[in-house]
Amino acid sequence: MAAPNLMIKKRVLLLLVFFTLAAIGLMIRTGWWQIYEGERLQKEAIQQQTRDRIINSKRGTIFDRNGKPLAVSASVETVSAIPNEIRKAGNAEEVAAKLSQILNMDYEEIYQKITKNSAYEIVKRKIEKKEADEIRKLKFKGIHLDEDSKRYYPYGNFASHVIGATGFDNQGLFGIEAKYDKYLKGLPGRIVSAKDAIGTDMPYKYEKYINPEDGVNVVLTIDEVIQHFVEKHLETAAIENKVQNGAAAIVMDPKTGDILAMAVKPDFDLNNAFQIQNEETRKELEKLTGKEFTDRYGIELGKMWRNKAVVDSYEPGSTFKIITSAIALEENVVKPNDMFNDIGYVTVGGRRIKCWRSYNPHGIQTFIQGVQNSCNPVFIEVALRMGAEVFYRYVKAFGFMEKTGIDFDGETAGIFHKLKAFNELELATASFGQGFQVTPLQMVTAVSAVANGGKLLKPRLVKQFLDKDGNVIKNFEPEIVRQVISPETSATLRGILETVVSEGTGKNAYIKGYRVAGKTGTSEKLPRGNGKYIASFIGFAPADDPRVVVLVILDEPKGDVYYGGLIAAPVVGKILDDTLRYLEVEPKFTEEELATMEVNVPELRNMDVKQAQKALKDVNLKYKIEGTGNTIIDQTPKPTAKLQENSVVILYTEGAGPVSNVTVPDVLKRSVLDANKILTDSGLNIKIIGSGTAMKQEPAAGTIVSPGTVVEVEFRHTDVD
Amino acid sequence: MKGRGAFDFGFFLTVMILLSFGLIMVFSASSADAFYRYNDSYFVIKRQLIWAVLGLFAMFFMASFNYKRLDKLAIPFLLLSIVLLAAVLVVGTEVKGAQRWLGFGGLTIQPSEVAKLAIIIFFSSRLSKKKDKIQKFFTGLMPYLMILGVIAALVIMEPHLSGTVVIILVSVILLFAAGARIFHFVILSLPAIAGLVYAVIIEPYRMRRIVSFLDPWQYKMNEGWQIIQSLYAIGSGGLFGLGLGRSRQKFLYIPEAHNDFIFSIICEELGFVGAATVIILFIILIWRGIKIALNAPDTFGSLLTTGIISLIAVQVIINIAVVTSSMPVTGMPLPFFSAGGSSLVFIMGGMGIILNVSRYSNCNRG
Repeated sequence: MAAPNLMIKKRVLLLLVFFTLAAIGLMIRTGWWQIYEGERLQKEAIQQQTRDRIINSKRGTIFDRNGKPLAVSASVETVSAIPNEIRKAGNAEEVAAKLSQILNMDYEEIYQKITKNSAYEIVKRKIEKKEADEIRKLKFKGIHLDEDSKRYYPYGNFASHVIGATGFDNQGLFGIEAKYDKYLKGLPGRIVSAKDAIGTDMPYKYEKYINPEDGVNVVLTIDEVIQHFVEKHLETAAIENKVQNGAAAIVMDPKTGDILAMAVKPDFDLNNAFQIQNEETRKELEKLTGKEFTDRYGIELGKMWRNKAVVDSYEPGSTFKIITSAIALEENVVKPNDMFNDIGYVTVGGRRIKCWRSYNPHGIQTFIQGVQNSCNPVFIEVALRMGAEVFYRYVKAFGFMEKTGIDFDGETAGIFHKLKAFNELELATASFGQGFQVTPLQMVTAVSAVANGGKLLKPRLVKQFLDKDGNVIKNFEPEIVRQVISPETSATLRGILETVVSEGTGKNAYIKGYRVAGKTGTSEKLPRGNGKYIASFIGFAPADDPRVVVLVILDEPKGDVYYGGLIAAPVVGKILDDTLRYLEVEPKFTEEELATMEVNVPELRNMDVKQAQKALKDVNLKYKIEGTGNTIIDQTPKPTAKLQENSVVILYTEGAGPVSNVTVPDVLKRSVLDANKILTDSGLNIKIIGSGTAMKQEPAAGTIVSPGTVVEVEFRHTDVD
Repeated sequence: MKGRGAFDFGFFLTVMILLSFGLIMVFSASSADAFYRYNDSYFVIKRQLIWAVLGLFAMFFMASFNYKRLDKLAIPFLLLSIVLLAAVLVVGTEVKGAQRWLGFGGLTIQPSEVAKLAIIIFFSSRLSKKKDKIQKFFTGLMPYLMILGVIAALVIMEPHLSGTVVIILVSVILLFAAGARIFHFVILSLPAIAGLVYAVIIEPYRMRRIVSFLDPWQYKMNEGWQIIQSLYAIGSGGLFGLGLGRSRQKFLYIPEAHNDFIFSIICEELGFVGAATVIILFIILIWRGIKIALNAPDTFGSLLTTGIISLIAVQVIINIAVVTSSMPVTGMPLPFFSAGGSSLVFIMGGMGIILNVSRYSNCNRG
């Protein structure tokens, strides 16, 4: 055999060249993927190879201004399953059985979840530590426990619309929870671990732990105690007056703009924020399914969560006369004692505008009396004197054409006329608060400016941020937006508004010991003539140095009466009474008030008669003894009941014969004096609430009670608008 | 005619490095899959080690078996391979829809592996005797093509497209090296291309594979899955890799990472540096092999060596081209690296033949 010929050698060499070039080509191709495309591919690869488990950070606490917790997060855990790991362990039945027992869940439901063809399934969210520990002890493969937190609202139905609630993933949904979600939620941590293609953890360690950062604690300006007063009185008023469209109340500190309380009725329990409270609506919802249900449910939830005090606007009616007065006095177009003559109507731009009491015109009166009487023609007159442009400028300066800037989502700015279209007729109606809309918050903010010497403040709900150890992270300082009127005008107007309560249409807001200033308001909702009204009252006290401004709005009352002065003013009075006492504002009683002071009934039982007589004399109470014994066995009224001085306490001793009970007489529509006499004559005691005419009594007429029983009678002035 | 000398040490060393490297990578790549499948990380490597030992025996045996005696065995060997190929169609073990393996007791072999060597030996033998006739189309080239046709037809019936492609390519390379006219290949390539197109059309999965290679991301969840997983592995490696044994893609993302896609795992664990090393080792192997072919004492030894080296080269090129998404996916093992059982024995046997040829080399004498 011969050696290979030259051609074979040439061709073999050619092959070497070809193979080498191909191999180099592939080397370049490989390098292209590894180096040029490497970063992208690696990113995608890591995405499929790793599992991110989020560790929720602990949500911050929401406190009231005095450090009482209003919303707290408790540590809970979430149970999840990795079905593939369970499949490998082959004990799905056992796992499901044990878990259903511990978690009190359906066996089938758990079994479905843990055998599902998926990489990761949540078995149950937010379980308590105790349950979690039990599960941990079982050491099941493929069952994981992750830290989570759950929101609790210790006070339930309390400032619900302000505080807001959180959703499934602890995210704030509305209210402060939503507004400050970013701060409250903190930074969630993560556990990154490697997984294989079927979703189980890789056998070797590849885990990264990123610590969660706790959320900040938010301190509200809300005072839990004042909020409770407001909740209580507003709730009672909303029920008594059968309000159809809700009720709202705001208490503001006029010196700082702090919202001390803000309540909306009807309310709901924050711990159960997803349940529709209205039973009728709930029944209607139960009939719906699918998309119809979700749509309607969403709308109803939105309605229920809506913070009427900040989001809804209304026609302020006569309460706005405070602003008109402020402008008039500031612009010097009227002096408090200027004379006006009300003939029941005014003609403006060819149209006759009537006073609310046109059936009995107020006649000749001073400006002060005009405010007391809430006489529309007086305000039309002064508004026309200042002119539309001035009026418009001040309405704007008082903040009615912009949002107040409160730290709350969804605030609206109200609706006012455009300056171009703001003619005399519009001006005339605007002077007594008609033809435009404001939000309750704007109203409170503007009246606070009137009360505090003329400074318009930015209202605020949050006072400070604290870290988890209670150190202040951030303080929110009061912010003055602008000086609207002079301190002198403010002082003059405070004096005038005080007389509205002491002598005018605001009498029902009167409380003993405090000088209350305020203004009533009743507006008919559009379209006019449909019999739907909004009753409101805005007041502040003490008039010489206002500590709080209170607004109460009852939207569509369906009771016997709808006047703000009748149904809203007493609510403001009660809120002011409780609040001022709580704030330890020194009461100053007039002589007249001192004469009707109330005292506490002392404990007299087991005393001998002499001791009892002395004890009663000390507190200016009279007595009547039944029986002939020496020791007091029983007494009416019982201790700590409040009685006016000189009321009679019935004392029972041994040998007292059967006492004939008394039928409570009817004192409704009587004056204070008459009612007092009728009840005392029947051997009963009276507790007088308010002044004017008796509107309510408790117990009701015809009830059989023992002698000496206290009958509570609520009096109101009815000559109000 | 010179006597026997020492074999080409450079070639031997390259083979041993590739074999060792291959074993390490099979172990690394197979550990995860073996653990999941058999609960024993060593399951695959244990078997591969046995094959490697058998392979070493085969190499040393062939290295001392005078290659010239293969000349006489060429026809019986060819016939044997045809019988085996026919047998596998009847009594072969079916795996994943293809009948490619024949069982002998505990051993399984792929008759296509036998056929590859058989056709190389037969072609080399015949071509070295009738050198000039190959230039004639009907009397020279045609008989080879008919034998090739029979074998290729048997292999493709298994079906085993990639095996068929390798056999055809290696045969054509041999015919080319022996001096066949390029013009004839041009004419022949027309029906060959037509045949390939036909093969693609009759099996829809081949068509999808071709399409998915052009844009694997569009077929991410099905046809493109494998190739994307391969690219993830290659890309994750970067320049220096994640470290030996630290592949993440072998955790079932790449199914049976120790088989056809082992090169991706090399890229992932050892980076471009490792991948380039592997390719360079193959270039050295091919270069040393071709050198042996050029210095062979006779045409038979020269063609034999060229054929076997081409067999390695073609498989390496196709394998790497597939895993780097440079051509459509086809199940091509990477010689020395893929855990393929009996194929390692045949490769090592082939290496032994080349070593034997090198002992008769003209100039490789110190």
